[in-house]
Amino acid sequence: MVTSRTRPPAAPQHNWLLLLYKVSPRPTAGRVYVWRKLKRLGAVLLHDAVWVLPDTPRTREHFQWLAAEIVEMGGEALVWESRLVPGASDDALVRQFVEPTEAAYRSLLKGLKQKEVDLAGLSQQYQQVKQRDYFQSGLRAQVREALISARGGAGE
Amino acid sequence: MKWVTWENVAVDRMACAWLIRRSIDPKAEFLFITPGAQTLPKGAEPFDIPGARLSHRRGHCTFDTLLREYSLKDPILERLADIIDEADTVQEVAVEPIAPGLDIICRGLRLTSPDDQTALERGQLVYEALYAQLAAEPA
Repeated sequence: MVTSRTRPPAAPQHNWLLLLYKVSPRPTAGRVYVWRKLKRLGAVLLHDAVWVLPDTPRTREHFQWLAAEIVEMGGEALVWESRLVPGASDDALVRQFVEPTEAAYRSLLKGLKQKEVDLAGLSQQYQQVKQRDYFQSGLRAQVREALISARGGAGE
Repeated sequence: MKWVTWENVAVDRMACAWLIRRSIDPKAEFLFITPGAQTLPKGAEPFDIPGARLSHRRGHCTFDTLLREYSLKDPILERLADIIDEADTVQEVAVEPIAPGLDIICRGLRLTSPDDQTALERGQLVYEALYAQLAAEPA
């Protein structure tokens, strides 16, 4: 039996942005403010140490502004461009972005199957989830379809 | 007067340039630098650059900062600032349906323009139109 000595092709690597910051514990409003913005962006906190986002023009702008805001409130912040060393896999990291997004899409699909549907509310939630859908989940189109057919009010 | 900002202009900077020409400095001349450039052109006022006097403040866009810094009191401009805030910054609630569309149109304008200068010029039309329509709507 012939075993191939060549390694399997490495998964394509992603470019990431890292945010490292420190704000004073008091007043707590500043800390909460930064934390909420990071959650809203869908950033992932790795090992209680560093906040990660996929590198896109949009995430770059948001991280840069957030870093400037942290400095404005008397804290310290640095935004880093980063990439794993060749051979290392960022699949697990990608999953940390994909899983919460897909869970949110699934809960929207479930919500759309209810008897009394708040379509306006669900479509707004869809818009918000879509903003954090950095890896283009296949569920996005499903939710969109479900929203559109619910809009038609056909309700088969 | 000369004004300088980062290249690759989008929603907030197009709006700022429109506002500067309209209400602050009709003869404004705009210059562009690469993000993070350490030296600014001499005598030029930087805007929408992190750390500048005219940039984001407390989570609001630079357009909003311009309104405060130059004491521009106009409810239509305030309304516009709310829309640009939502288009350009991370907000927890979304109450301006125009915002995501405006963001995309401005990004697209930059994509279809040969340079930042042209993109700013084209952006003027968008903001002129937006202002006129907001002014025509009941508050």
